[in-house]
Amino acid sequence: MRILRNLSRDRLATISLLIIAVTIIAGIFAPLFAPFDPNEINMSLRYASPSWEHLLGNDHLGRCILSRIIYGIRPSVLWVLVVLFISVLAGAILGFLAGYFRGKIDAIIMRICDTMLSFPGYVMALAVIGILGVGLENILIAFALIKWAWFARVIRTSVMQYAELDYVKFSKATGISDFKIIFKHIVPVTFSDIAVISSGSIGSMILQISGFSFLGLGIQAPNPEWGMMLNEAREVMFTRPELMLAPGLAIVIVVSAFNFLSDSLQVALDPKLVISKNKYKENSPYSAVKVREKEVAN
Amino acid sequence: MLMKKFKLVCLILLIISILAACSAESSNNEKTGDSANNENEIVYASAKDINDMNPHLYSGSMPAQGMVYESLVENTEDGIKPLLAESWEVSEDGKIYTFFLRQDVKFHDGVLFNAEAVKKNIEAVQNNAEKHAWIKLSTKIESVNVVDEFTVELALSETYYPTLAELSMTRPYVFISPKDFKNGETKDGVSGYNGTGPYMLTEHKIDEFATFEANEDYWNGTPEIKKITSKVLPAGETTLLALQKGEVNFVFTDDRGADSLAIEPMNQLVDSGEYQLIRSEPMNTKMIVANSSKQDNPISEIAVREAIWYSIDRETISKDIFNGTESVANTLFSPNVNYANVDLKERGYDVEKAKDILEKDGWKLENGDEVRTKEGKKLVMKLYYDSNSSSQKTQAEFIQASLEEIGLHLEIIGEESTSIANRRSTGDYDLLFNQTWGLAYDPQSTISAFTSEASYLHTTKGIEHADELYKKIEQIMVSTNEETRKSLYADILTIVHEEAVFIPISNGSVTVVAPQNLKGISFKQTQFELPFELMNFK
Repeated sequence: MRILRNLSRDRLATISLLIIAVTIIAGIFAPLFAPFDPNEINMSLRYASPSWEHLLGNDHLGRCILSRIIYGIRPSVLWVLVVLFISVLAGAILGFLAGYFRGKIDAIIMRICDTMLSFPGYVMALAVIGILGVGLENILIAFALIKWAWFARVIRTSVMQYAELDYVKFSKATGISDFKIIFKHIVPVTFSDIAVISSGSIGSMILQISGFSFLGLGIQAPNPEWGMMLNEAREVMFTRPELMLAPGLAIVIVVSAFNFLSDSLQVALDPKLVISKNKYKENSPYSAVKVREKEVAN
Repeated sequence: MLMKKFKLVCLILLIISILAACSAESSNNEKTGDSANNENEIVYASAKDINDMNPHLYSGSMPAQGMVYESLVENTEDGIKPLLAESWEVSEDGKIYTFFLRQDVKFHDGVLFNAEAVKKNIEAVQNNAEKHAWIKLSTKIESVNVVDEFTVELALSETYYPTLAELSMTRPYVFISPKDFKNGETKDGVSGYNGTGPYMLTEHKIDEFATFEANEDYWNGTPEIKKITSKVLPAGETTLLALQKGEVNFVFTDDRGADSLAIEPMNQLVDSGEYQLIRSEPMNTKMIVANSSKQDNPISEIAVREAIWYSIDRETISKDIFNGTESVANTLFSPNVNYANVDLKERGYDVEKAKDILEKDGWKLENGDEVRTKEGKKLVMKLYYDSNSSSQKTQAEFIQASLEEIGLHLEIIGEESTSIANRRSTGDYDLLFNQTWGLAYDPQSTISAFTSEASYLHTTKGIEHADELYKKIEQIMVSTNEETRKSLYADILTIVHEEAVFIPISNGSVTVVAPQNLKGISFKQTQFELPFELMNFK
């Protein structure tokens, strides 16, 4: 809650959060929001320009672009979030193990990480696709397999900072079990780091998945996906450039929103700022709410 | 301060980019002028490399091979005409063909084209017989005999009526200099690519470009276009940009039937006034080929194939996807093809009928399901299309949606044309896009390809009367009586039509986009070659 309040003072962050929230909700409840079936073909509307019925116009098979953008949120954003969650979770578990226990466990986990990180991400993803075949699920599997190593490495560093602190040493000395220490004393302080790095990498993951779909390796037709829609529009890039706008802008807006949010999160979670803001809160408990109301009105 | 600097940098960048854009424009204009007028050169864009130019194998690009190599006779609109053979005689029993060769023909390396060269080339082809099984002549040739320096005799084991037509094809019965043979053979590669044609290959960088220069000593007069370059460019907008920039100035439908430009960009080029668009008469039938021999897949059932046939809306494909440039095809061969004017049941667009057929065959739609099932098996199959052809992808998506309606789930997969050709010959497909081979090959070669592993064997093997079909094909090729031939062709076409293994879509043609001032663009009877030697800049 405190973080939210901090964020709400940042206008850019509020807007970003709003965009992300709307995107996610629209994606989850796509059938409610989309005016048409995204796969319904209507050749008489091939390349029709925007109309009141089809706000963003129609594509090369006369399908409603707006509906396709809305359904496209699912693979382009929602599944990315799921994969991110999985890889952060895996990375966090291994990172905590390595950073807290050190020694042999640390060495083994870090060498595995080294191995994973020594391959460029795209090459690994292509290799996995080569083995498992094309398709969204395989790309997602590939991403989950690749990304955890990076998260594990970063989280381990963060954990190591805190694991050496006096209060952790005291807890150990008083005989509290390791797992309790981790959950009670380390997870809360490292959580901000985890939040920042994972939100920071959402943007690049969305771009990468769209990139793979653009190349035809991701989700297969006729299911809509932003990268694939861009690829479809590419064929008429010089005769109907406007078709690139909708999916292109959708990607740009969502990725920017995630990036701005992650920047703001970093500021909001900065301990120094948190302290100063806490004081501020004590002085005027309602100010935060007021500021937020103002922002919404803007 | 920092902001100011930043703005200044931005401004400078903007100005530079505008300047760069302007200067690029002007230099491009010059370049277009150069390649179009002064250099007298055609640079055509191709999605694939010309590959192995060995004319006795099949991996090379046919338009390129067509420029370099020539056959004994030529297939034209008015029938078979002389080419490297000035005239010929056929013995009364139809088993001996005697060719009287031109005496003024030389290979590009200066070797004289004579009876000995013909004998060596044909024997080289015969020594690799299994590769050439699709061309039935290869199984009929018994011997090639040199009568004198410029007379050669072809002895067949039995009468074979399409002999001359098959000798006229782009490959394999064309001639490469005997000096280029390796160990007296061509099947393991050749050491050079010296044919007798109007152009010779001078430079080839794999996956970049290949240059062909006019053969100054060409027996039929030096070609006016002095240089032809085949440039490898990805299909679609890259090719369009290259055309607009003048980097290439020519595109045409490639030998796998894929246009590297969609129809709209072509029209845009024509509207710009710099290019012209020329379309040949309908040459072939674009179709979907069904793998009837894939027993574990629903596609092996005739009812499923028929249902697919009924649920394709060809009118819309022709009108909207092809902008009316290709007409609807309802049969494997359009009725104007020799022997193909057969009365066949027309299967128009009728979704209800398609559903009906599936229902009767036991493919039931359970409540709530989107895909029909029969005995626990789902009605799911794969359709492969050429990823370099934008129209095939659109058609595939369109058909996919239509089939969804009748409860058939179609996965569509785009692949390189070579990989698709490979699937066709190994039988590793359910459905794939294909086309008949064009006027010079239809119907005789396409039909004899029904029995060839490299072509349509997997397509026809699984049908009920396959043996009867193959027997009839065997008979037709040796028949000498026009009437029996007609009735046999009618039977064959009826069988494959009834079995619905070739699902026709539209009548395709060859399209050429060329500079406005290029004259003399014409077409051959085959979609695989263009007569570049007849073109000239005005």
